Amino acid sequence: MKNNIKVERAKKNITQADLAKLAKVSRQTINAMELGKYVPSTVLALRLAHIFEVEISEIFTLEDSDWD
Amino acid sequence: MTTKYLFPYKYKKIGWLILVPSAIAGLVSLPVSYEPSFLNFNVPAIFISELFGDTKLVGMVNNNMLNDIVGLLIIISSLLVAFSKEKSEDEYISKIRLESLVWAVYVNYGILLLSFLIIYDGSFLWVMLFNMFTILIFFIIRFNWQISRLKKLTNYEE
Repeated sequence: MKNNIKVERAKKNITQADLAKLAKVSRQTINAMELGKYVPSTVLALRLAHIFEVEISEIFTLEDSDWD
Repeated sequence: MTTKYLFPYKYKKIGWLILVPSAIAGLVSLPVSYEPSFLNFNVPAIFISELFGDTKLVGMVNNNMLNDIVGLLIIISSLLVAFSKEKSEDEYISKIRLESLVWAVYVNYGILLLSFLIIYDGSFLWVMLFNMFTILIFFIIRFNWQISRLKKLTNYEE
């Protein structure tokens, strides 16, 4: 699954630490998601969409490998 | 969304403060069979099977309690260290926690299987003795190593 958390974060001009605080997770989690190492839970994905004020599908995109 | 059944964060430090000295006490006292006489007690017991003595279902036995106390402290403290929340316990940490636990079980039983095949008799008693604690110890090592690697990685970014 691809995501553009980093882009959305840049638009809002907030750091990983800021976003971590807003989403109530650790900075490591934000970092891992941006690096594509961690796929968040639905709850966290919804929180991110809420924070960025966008639809969830604008942040996360399915890839072919997600169907394997 | 975090894991259930975890202790509060502050218990981690308390766990370490007990674990380190009791592990040292265990490793030092055990090989020399140190049994201080003030810790000899008559204690209630079940399934008694004394060397050169009686077998009874229930009764009293005279026992040196040092190894029991040390063992108890090591198990309780390593449970605290292993299963206290991180400062910022979240779903990603929970995932690492679970993965580390699976890894620790595999490594622990891998070593035990190998020990079955190449260690026998009296020496195997030592394997059984250490095996009582190693599953938690392996978990603690692996989990903390993963977390510290993650923290380092995060500090480089941004």
